[in-house]
Amino acid sequence: MNINLGTRYLKVLRTVCALALIAVVTFLYSSVFSVNTTTVALTYLLVVLAIATVWGLFEAVAASVLGVICFNYFFLPPVGTFTIADPQNWVALFVFLVTAVIASHLSTRAKERAEEAIQRQHELERLYALSRNLLLIDNPSELAKQIALQVAQAFEPEGVAFLDRSTDRVYRAGPKDIPTDEGKLRDVAVQGTVWHEAASAITVMPISLGGRTIGSLAIQGSSVSETAQHSIANLAAIALERARAQETASHAEAVRQSEELKSTLLDALAHEFKTPLTPIKAAVTSMLADGSCNPTHQELLRIVNEETDLLNSMLTEAIQMARIEAGKLQLRTSPHAVSALLGPTLEKLRGALEGRKVEVHIPEDLPLVMADPELVGIVLWQLLSNAIRYTSPGSAFAVRARAQDDAVTMSVADCGPGIPKQEQSHIFEKFYRSKDHRDLIPGTGMGLAIAREIVRAHGGKIWVESEPGKGAEFSFTLPLAGKEVAP
Amino acid sequence: MSDARILVVDDDPQIRRVMRMTLVARGYMVSDAKSGEEALEAVRNENYDLVLLDINMPGIGGLEACRLIRASSEIPIIVLTVRSAEKDKVEALDAGADDYVTKPFGTPELLARIRAALRRAPLLAEGLPETLLLGDLEINFSTRRILNGKTEFSLTPKEIDLLRCLASNRNSPVPHTKLLQTIWGPDYGGEVEYLRVFVNHLRKKIERDPSNPRYLLTVPRVGYQLHIPPKR
Repeated sequence: MNINLGTRYLKVLRTVCALALIAVVTFLYSSVFSVNTTTVALTYLLVVLAIATVWGLFEAVAASVLGVICFNYFFLPPVGTFTIADPQNWVALFVFLVTAVIASHLSTRAKERAEEAIQRQHELERLYALSRNLLLIDNPSELAKQIALQVAQAFEPEGVAFLDRSTDRVYRAGPKDIPTDEGKLRDVAVQGTVWHEAASAITVMPISLGGRTIGSLAIQGSSVSETAQHSIANLAAIALERARAQETASHAEAVRQSEELKSTLLDALAHEFKTPLTPIKAAVTSMLADGSCNPTHQELLRIVNEETDLLNSMLTEAIQMARIEAGKLQLRTSPHAVSALLGPTLEKLRGALEGRKVEVHIPEDLPLVMADPELVGIVLWQLLSNAIRYTSPGSAFAVRARAQDDAVTMSVADCGPGIPKQEQSHIFEKFYRSKDHRDLIPGTGMGLAIAREIVRAHGGKIWVESEPGKGAEFSFTLPLAGKEVAP
Repeated sequence: MSDARILVVDDDPQIRRVMRMTLVARGYMVSDAKSGEEALEAVRNENYDLVLLDINMPGIGGLEACRLIRASSEIPIIVLTVRSAEKDKVEALDAGADDYVTKPFGTPELLARIRAALRRAPLLAEGLPETLLLGDLEINFSTRRILNGKTEFSLTPKEIDLLRCLASNRNSPVPHTKLLQTIWGPDYGGEVEYLRVFVNHLRKKIERDPSNPRYLLTVPRVGYQLHIPPKR
């Protein structure tokens, strides 16, 4: 209300001045100078133009009317009278009015544009300050807090509220608390459309990046233009995305470095631990081969030997896993017969297989596969020693191979306790050990994970089919060697 | 062969201790060295029948020591490796070793290898020609040298034995077991992997393209065969 009174007062003052100007010109030309009517008319026109340009339409129209009246009375013959009928009056009035309108219109537009430009520049400066402040913050949670604050600081609206969708928290800033409830913020964030309430001058905008809405921003107050609001929303989105990407990248880097460190450490430790095993095994096997110990001692020595082998294989597994993780797995494939891949592994497990029945079903005409024999040997060793470890000494197991489409599937089936469905997806994970067996059967939990990496590197798949009480069958595929003949 | 002189080279004192005890108990005479440099010194000054050489040693290391010993001597060298990856075994053979044993090993296994390495005369039928022509290669069995056009190089005793065994069954496959037992001895039989490493190693010497061999062929599921092209 105060503003309205002020402008009204100003307008009245200006109008009075405008009229006064016309009066002054009239006086000058009628009493002081002696000029012809054209000069008078042109001078009036000039005054109207000036008034329209500097002040406004209302003042200019008032001046035009007074100008025509004075012109008629004081200058048009017969002087001293109003001759309304004379069309010359109407032409003059018409010209004055048109000039007034056009001039004031152009002038107002020019002023408006100039003001708009200045406002826009101010807004840009504020946006720049906001962007600078927001983009400096690397921590996403810190950034979320700061967005509302920074917007309030830069643009000084009546109130700001920001909803971060990822944490579902609302941050407020500004001199007043926006009377929008959090539900509205969430609605806008979900629907992704702008909500505006003209009465309270509150706008709630979604903040989205790449098609996803990551939050919403509510601003109360008319100091922020619509363009600026959109810009702020975009800025907030970019800043948040940037902070999150930064965090992910540094986290990923930290994880990678930690993994690398673990692998190196594992590799070094395992080798260190293996060193004492050499004299231990050499000594024990020497004593066993000697045969001069009594049966009890022979048995004890056998136990020491077996445990040494177990320790050795666990360390070897640890080293393998470390190498695989460090990306040092080098595959050297060439065509091989499946039976040739199986043979050496069975040989290695000869001792463990004593007294156990192993059925091998490999068809004679099975095509050759592309395989790295050493690595596939590790896979077979793992599956076979698992079968040995997890089944009772009397039960038999079978190794099968069959050709299917463009691969050969090898499988190791046992009649052991089987694996429950919910565990089947976990057993190939690193370090996973079944709860039931953890304490009974020693192991590092890495064997199947290693096997899986090797099979995958060959381009094959590995899986298990099992039902509790009905044993388990582990299968994996190897690609065919094609029409090439083995060297 | 039980009075053979063996040089044990390993930087780990416990291993040297255990090896000494087990080898002496079998009747061998044992000396030891702590490093590659010491080994070279020892081989220069004394006569040994066999060297047991650890790969993982500081200083010039086992592989380099192997190369240097091999450069001036035909003495059998058995290398003790820690890593069992095939490429490490191949590396050892390339460096001139006759055989390798992966740590930790069982003593009987080591002793079998030692016996095989010390055995000079292979259990082969006599009546073989002294030279063999394989394309551009001229293989001389008694001097153990191969002439390839202008270049000449030598084969280790085991490599010559392998070629001889395959050549005496020319153009027909020889089973893995027979090869292993003929060349390495009756303690062997099932180490197919082992044989493969040796064959690959030999291929590098005699084949123009080791991955596509023309002479030393693999017979899947059976063994190996030497394809001797007919004389033109």
